[in-house]
Amino acid sequence: MTGLRQIAFYGKGGIGKSTTSQNTLAALAEMGQKILIVGCDPKADSTRLILHAKAQDTILSLAAAAGSVEDLELEDVMKMGYRDIRCVESGGPEPGVGCAGRGVITSINFLEEEGAYDGADYVSYDVLGDVVCGGFAMPIRENKAQEIYIVMSGEMMAMYAANNISKGILKYANSGGVRLGGLVCNERQTDKEYELAESLAKKLNSKLIHFVPRDNVVQHAELRRMTVLEYAPDSKQADEYRTLARKIHENVGRGTIPTPITMDELEDLLMEHGIMKAVDESIVGKTAAECAVA
Amino acid sequence: MSQNAEKVLDHFSLFRSQEYVDMFENKKAFENAVPLTELQTAVDWTKTREYRELNFAREALVVNPAKACQPLGAVFAAVGFEKTLPFVHGSQGCVAYYRSHFSRHFKEPTSCVSSSMTEDAAVFGGLNNMIDGLANAYNLYKPEMIAVSTTCMAEVIGDDLNAFIKTAKEKGSVPAKFDVPFTHTPAFVGSHVTGYDNTMKSILEHFWDGKAGTEPPLVREPRDSINFIGGFDGYAVGNIREVKRLFGLMGVDYTILGDTSDVWDTPTDGRFRMYDGGTPLAAAAAAVHARATISMQEFCTQKTLAYVAKKGHEVAAFNHPMGVAGTDRFLMEVARLTGRAIPEDLTRERGRLVDAIADSSAHIHGKKFALYGDPDLTLGLAGFLLELGAEPVHILATNGTPEWAARVQALLDSSPFGKGCHVYPGRDLWHMRSLLFTEPVDFLIGNTYGKFLERDTRTPLIRIGFPIFDRHHHHRYPLWGYQGAMNTLVKILDKIFDVIDADTIVPGKTDYSFDIIR
Amino acid sequence: MDLTLDEVKARNAEVISEALSVYPDKTAKKRAKHLNVYEGDKPDCGVKSNIKSVPGVMTIRGCAYAGSKGVVWGPIKDMVHISHGPVGCGQYSWAARRNYYIGVTGVDTFVTMQFTSDFQEKDIVFGGDKKLDKIVDEIQKLFPLNHGITIQSECPIGLIGDDIEAVAKKKSKEYDGKTIVPVRCEGFRGVSQSLGHHIANDAVRDWVFEKGGDKPPLFESTPYDVAIIGDYNIGGDAWSSRILLEEMGLRVVAQWSGDGSLAELENTPKAKLNILHCYRSMNYISRYMEEKFGIPWVEYNFFGPSKVAESLRTIASHFDDRIKEGAERVIAKYQPLMDAVIAKYKPRLEGKKVMLYVGGLRPRHVIGAYEDLGMEVIGTGYEFGHNDDYQRTTHYVKDGTLIYDDVTGYEFEKFVDRLQPDLVGSGIKEKYVFQKMGVPFRQMHSWDYSGPYHGYDGFAIFARDMDMAINNPVWGLTRAPWSAGQ
Repeated sequence: MTGLRQIAFYGKGGIGKSTTSQNTLAALAEMGQKILIVGCDPKADSTRLILHAKAQDTILSLAAAAGSVEDLELEDVMKMGYRDIRCVESGGPEPGVGCAGRGVITSINFLEEEGAYDGADYVSYDVLGDVVCGGFAMPIRENKAQEIYIVMSGEMMAMYAANNISKGILKYANSGGVRLGGLVCNERQTDKEYELAESLAKKLNSKLIHFVPRDNVVQHAELRRMTVLEYAPDSKQADEYRTLARKIHENVGRGTIPTPITMDELEDLLMEHGIMKAVDESIVGKTAAECAVA
Repeated sequence: MSQNAEKVLDHFSLFRSQEYVDMFENKKAFENAVPLTELQTAVDWTKTREYRELNFAREALVVNPAKACQPLGAVFAAVGFEKTLPFVHGSQGCVAYYRSHFSRHFKEPTSCVSSSMTEDAAVFGGLNNMIDGLANAYNLYKPEMIAVSTTCMAEVIGDDLNAFIKTAKEKGSVPAKFDVPFTHTPAFVGSHVTGYDNTMKSILEHFWDGKAGTEPPLVREPRDSINFIGGFDGYAVGNIREVKRLFGLMGVDYTILGDTSDVWDTPTDGRFRMYDGGTPLAAAAAAVHARATISMQEFCTQKTLAYVAKKGHEVAAFNHPMGVAGTDRFLMEVARLTGRAIPEDLTRERGRLVDAIADSSAHIHGKKFALYGDPDLTLGLAGFLLELGAEPVHILATNGTPEWAARVQALLDSSPFGKGCHVYPGRDLWHMRSLLFTEPVDFLIGNTYGKFLERDTRTPLIRIGFPIFDRHHHHRYPLWGYQGAMNTLVKILDKIFDVIDADTIVPGKTDYSFDIIR
Repeated sequence: MDLTLDEVKARNAEVISEALSVYPDKTAKKRAKHLNVYEGDKPDCGVKSNIKSVPGVMTIRGCAYAGSKGVVWGPIKDMVHISHGPVGCGQYSWAARRNYYIGVTGVDTFVTMQFTSDFQEKDIVFGGDKKLDKIVDEIQKLFPLNHGITIQSECPIGLIGDDIEAVAKKKSKEYDGKTIVPVRCEGFRGVSQSLGHHIANDAVRDWVFEKGGDKPPLFESTPYDVAIIGDYNIGGDAWSSRILLEEMGLRVVAQWSGDGSLAELENTPKAKLNILHCYRSMNYISRYMEEKFGIPWVEYNFFGPSKVAESLRTIASHFDDRIKEGAERVIAKYQPLMDAVIAKYKPRLEGKKVMLYVGGLRPRHVIGAYEDLGMEVIGTGYEFGHNDDYQRTTHYVKDGTLIYDDVTGYEFEKFVDRLQPDLVGSGIKEKYVFQKMGVPFRQMHSWDYSGPYHGYDGFAIFARDMDMAINNPVWGLTRAPWSAGQ
């Protein structure tokens, strides 16, 4: 597997992580790279823009139907999409039952054993919001993803999640080789978004690798279950993703060990940029009635 | 009162005395016991075809399986290396179980430690348990290698052994250069044979591929020696020693990978040897240079063999070869791989085995057998039975895959004695119970748990397999080689003769056949 | 060669510090709290207990599942006990504990069977509740005479958040209120078997007593009804106990749980007295029954004639003169047998020294039996005892006894090596270690496949077994004559 580049996209749910990753990977494919996407989110929506499908049959659902993963063949789970991008979805249980994290481990082990990565230039893992347990850290274990790209925005919770994911990376960075490749800011048009993203990246000992502006063409493409690269290849937005793809491609070996910050530091950062006001400690925990008396 | 100081009554006889028999009868009034007629109806019903069909329609429940879980196999593989302490990361109760299980079979101590993860580790991960556990095990038990595997608890929460062990080394739990091969062995995948395979592969990978990045990978310089892997084997003590003897007779340069023959057969001489024998670590490393690797149990070593083959070894895989033809194939392959001739001594041994079979075959020919056990063992045994002119009517492996079943079917198809015989992958001993009632056989071959089938169905049990808890020392005698086949033949014959004698012992009724010459 | 008490204490203290010297500091500090030399006037043994085992030290302990399925629930013979999770736990504990029972296995009784949900990867990922639901149906189809089902959780069940309680309730409703008991005894809970006992006791409380509802009584009560609590009938222990109780005029309405049945559990609130042998594993439910049903409980000890007689009198003291006389009659009846046993074996065993390391009650309970044979216990400890066990132990042990809680393989080997006892009594994992060292050994969990050891009938076997262990000619053969000088 020499020369195989393994990357992963993490980010808070709803941030546009799957959209960003699929558009970027489509752009990488356009550059001639052979891509394998491994969706690691039980929602199994990491490949639909590439496949023009609602949801792909997942490894775990097929394995459950067949008996066990040993009963599956690679062809059963792998689909070809736009520009021969190969797609697999790990899948997982309904919310509230079972262990989705274990599902990620199962799926990745299966893919490696079956030689799914053979012949690929890029393997990209698309992982759900937060590194909630050991299973969701599977893609950042040694010999898995070399660089992690965190998709975020200027919203507080997205930044909070980005910081948390950095903590997960740090845990594995010393023993394994995983690095933080950079932040991808998916514009939400919040106040001072670019500056905030830049500062957070700096605090995390990383960089804002690209600021993806908001553009309705993304929605139009999504409605047709397509990437912008395919739907409107000549659009300005398609070029944005091409830029991001090129930056990621050139970012090989340039990842860093992140320096996650404390909650207080994160709040300070928001205050610095005027997003959040200083908390008046005297009002914490007081009801409206109590405040009125005071 | 029936107890007696002169001749102390054991539980076998004590509870048959009238006072206890009456007590048991009176106790029933408090038990809501099933009325006798209803009970008898139910007993008879479980013997029927109808019950068999219900039984085979089971989709979820498993009753009396003939398999154990991965980490048991991990411990088996690990103790076969010199001064190696198996370390199972996860809940501690599991390790207590593995140690007990092996000790009950081999009647020997089995050393193995746990990282004793509890509820807090379930939430926060077991990194600290790994750090402290490696440090303690290293200081207390002075191993030369600690081989790490996992329980299902650590697997569900997704602990990363690679990262944990590196961190533990950074924190000084064990020296940076200390050998800590590791592998994930989830109990909910495969069985103990899978755990054996994963662990054997992890140990070879550790030595051959640069010791988890601490050294450059070894570069193979092909030599004439061969490697031998026995697989998970309840007869490892006898079998490995027999294989060494065969190799010695042939003058083969060999390395046994995972040599448990001395580990589970230490002398009682006033000293407890926590470690004894085992493959020297240097030999395990040097094994990369071997010309070929032989596995006696293919289904125990599928991943290992694939890995070894990638290193450039020629690979020869057997399915627990037994009997004349099985041993012939094994020896000829060894001869081919090493260029060593099979000596006259072994040809004579072979002749003696054929002689013994010829002498006794009248008693075995056409007898029907049911057998169960691990995939390779059942294949080897079935082959030997066919060779003896016996019919292996039911062949069952709870951990048998469809691939195994196809292999067994091909074997059955190759012999006229295999006609009407069937293979049952993934079934358990409760299925076997129905088979024995609805399609009876003359003898059952299996491990100790088979005695429950013997009790219920009155099918005489010949104990071959793992575990054997209720007979002693058979693990010291080989099943492999011509000598092993001889042992197996005698074991089968003894049971056949005992059954005939027990059946004809009634004076004045059946004892005309209670012959002194058979 | 006999040491004075002070010398013994000094040696034992030295042995402890020697053992501790090998540990890393952090571990040595932890382990030090579990090792002590008993001071005769103290109210406890001076050790900490029921604390997490240190990783990597080769603890002898098991887990909560072992405490629930293996100890408390497993022997209930007419119920099907599902080992819920991967195959291993049920496999290793299958029929290994010698809980004797009478019944047709596989038809109306199920103790020596291994029922497992044999979890596969997909069950972990997608959850196992649907499988469990189906398993109950299959049990009902294939084993229709079962009187109830328990679900013994293995580690993954708690980790993946399966709702076995909901499944139990649903299936119970489907099968006309059948007793289906979910037990949360995942192996990672607690620090040893002990929490499993507690969880199992609570499951009896919640799912047999409180949810079971009123069932028509199986029998008319009498003033002499007792229940045996905490006897697992290893090798028939409960039987050789029951016979004495019945001979003295009591009526045993329930056995918990060796050779026990669901009906017996349900009967127990009608007992006049609960008599408790294994305090550790069943004190919880005894206390509950005292509080809820007003049934007093009393601890007893049926190892060795001294303790048997003392216990028969203690039990009788809760009843009228008829029973008290019955107790005396029983004691007198067996006196000649006991005299004969002691006359035969005491001369061979007198003065022999014993070290014990067992589970919940035996580290103290069997001491009297050894003393009846003139033997001395010089070291003892519990796998999973609590502080109250160590307090009770002070009534049994002598000044200067070496005490070791949750002993590690390393320590135990060291202690035996230094104290040179004539006999070690512990478990299967320890047996061969000490025999290799040339030290006679008896398994004191399984009675080394012998037993019963309880009651008068059992004591004869106990004495015979200790004699055959210690006076086995093989111990004279361990050194080759030509290497005797080494």
